[in-house]
Amino acid sequence: MIAIEGLAKAFALDKKHKLTDAERQDPRFLGDSFQSVRQVSFRCEQGQVLGLLGPNGAGKTTTLRMISTALQPDAGRILIDGHDVLASPVMARKHIGFLSSSTGLYGRLTAYENVAYFARLHGMSESELKPRIDEIFTLLDMHSFAARRAETFSSGMKQKTAIARAVIHRPKLVVLDEPTTGLDIMTTQTVMEFIQTLKTQGTPVIFSTHHLDEVAMLCDRVVIIDQGISAFDGGIAQFQQLSPQGDLRHSFMSVIKGGAR
Amino acid sequence: MWQIYRKELLELTRDRKTLMFVVLLPIVIFPLIFAIMGLVVSTATKDAAAKEHRYILVNAEQAKPFADALFYHKSFKKSDLNITAEQANDEAYLKQLVREDKVDVVIVIPADFNPAADALQQSQWKVVYNTASQIDMIGRRVESAVADYRKTLQQAKLTALGVQDNQMSAVLDPVKIQKVSSAEQRENIGEQIGGIIGYILIPIILAGAMYPAIDIGAGEKERGTLETLLICPVERVTIVLGKFVTVLTAALASVMLTVGSLGFWGYLVGSIIGIDVVQKVMSTLGGADLLWILLLLLPIAALFSALVLSLSIYARSFKEAQNYMTPLTFVVIIPAMMAMMPGMELNMKSALVPVLNTTLALKELVKGTLELPLFFTVLVSTVVIAIGMIAFCVHWFQREKVLFR
Repeated sequence: MIAIEGLAKAFALDKKHKLTDAERQDPRFLGDSFQSVRQVSFRCEQGQVLGLLGPNGAGKTTTLRMISTALQPDAGRILIDGHDVLASPVMARKHIGFLSSSTGLYGRLTAYENVAYFARLHGMSESELKPRIDEIFTLLDMHSFAARRAETFSSGMKQKTAIARAVIHRPKLVVLDEPTTGLDIMTTQTVMEFIQTLKTQGTPVIFSTHHLDEVAMLCDRVVIIDQGISAFDGGIAQFQQLSPQGDLRHSFMSVIKGGAR
Repeated sequence: MWQIYRKELLELTRDRKTLMFVVLLPIVIFPLIFAIMGLVVSTATKDAAAKEHRYILVNAEQAKPFADALFYHKSFKKSDLNITAEQANDEAYLKQLVREDKVDVVIVIPADFNPAADALQQSQWKVVYNTASQIDMIGRRVESAVADYRKTLQQAKLTALGVQDNQMSAVLDPVKIQKVSSAEQRENIGEQIGGIIGYILIPIILAGAMYPAIDIGAGEKERGTLETLLICPVERVTIVLGKFVTVLTAALASVMLTVGSLGFWGYLVGSIIGIDVVQKVMSTLGGADLLWILLLLLPIAALFSALVLSLSIYARSFKEAQNYMTPLTFVVIIPAMMAMMPGMELNMKSALVPVLNTTLALKELVKGTLELPLFFTVLVSTVVIAIGMIAFCVHWFQREKVLFR
């Protein structure tokens, strides 16, 4: 379970940066800083899949980076399975499986070595990690390229290896940042099925996406972030009802245009 | 930390560029460069020594014994070119002859040399040749031939003045100096090559640390793997120390391979090919000296490793990191060069200047004259600076503004 309350994060602007007219109108540009995330709150319970939506630059990746502990929030609170991310980040990291928008694999290591390295960093012993890697590689159909170096992989192979690495330690929360971007149909299907498996196992999943069909297929909850604020937070049915025709695209647009604020 | 260290090392050993900088450069390229340089110099010296110089001797009849000595000298060949008395007095014309390679040297004896010598007057001979040469073989050979002739003349004059043969040396050279050196052979060799050792090894440490640091710092950022690493349940201090130890290992491996490689080639050249200087150098340094050298290099390697890793972590990309590190090479080479300057010695002040102190201490070590208090001053001051740099690197790695620029 994850609970996020009043999350905020600002970045200092480059001293040479001169604000454009559009930026002057944007409430996120405040003095010499850019308020990437201003007020984001949501919860994701056991077995739920939460879709994080929003236009480019809305603050989705910054929010996910704060959840993953890569960035520290300026304000607000993140509780992962009862562990405060700010107070005990190392403990929180033990319970998170994170997949960033770039697969972030070590090209000169094989698929097996990539996954095993992260398993060891999560404190898994050699006797523990071998059967676990075997299990995940079977699930994701990775055995055929397990001994190949990642630098030779197709984007599908890379994504599978990155997913395997993210969940090797059986995390209590899985965070995926645009996991299907740039993938072919077959690999996208594998990713979707994997999220479904996690859901069945009761693992909460947060994933950011621009694909509303994926949201319709997998999500129990939807959170829309717009200009650094969680503009919508509700169940998938509630999100669908925002549009009279039940069209998710219209629902999304109605929130972004300020309809649900 | 060791998990990170092991993985970084595994990755580095699979990288061709790292292998080139850390392994290939010290083992093959440096000895190859030295060998080519040695070959070029020795061939040039040999060629110059074997060369026959074509000469014109003007007014040869004024110094017949000298003309004969030159004529029968194996390195001189009389030119067939004849010049007039007027041309012989025209310096520009003589220079032109040499420039056009018609002749190698023109020696002009004054037309009144004999009467002047009889009247006990000093005479001036003109030697025209190309002095712009690294190996001034013509100058040396003419000087030697003239010296022999000069001695013959002096002896003839002194005999005429009634000086006996056994008094001759006392008149010609009344004071002779016998140099008794307190320096041992090792000190002399150390003075000659000691400074160069630091000048070679210190930039090698930097080169050995630089590429791995770029790869595991800025390279990780660029490839997007750093973020994944940062969200593992490992303290950031542990991550950066793992990376630091990897860079330090590469730097030390690089310098040890260089020392080993130079030792191997030195032994080969010294004992098998039998080059005297190399043989002397090799017999001067023992195993214990190599250990002392490594002990001196360890803190400077740690300092460089932490420094290049800090720069690499700050950089956004591989290229940006390379841009930061290029000026660093000059910053390191300048103090290493200063140590080779005449009069630059290791004292309590210079022992506190990083890089310069290590280079000077290496020189003293090779000479066998390194004093223990100075050795410890160099060691402690470099260790303190290295620890400071490591602490900075650790602090730097924990800053969001540095990691996510």
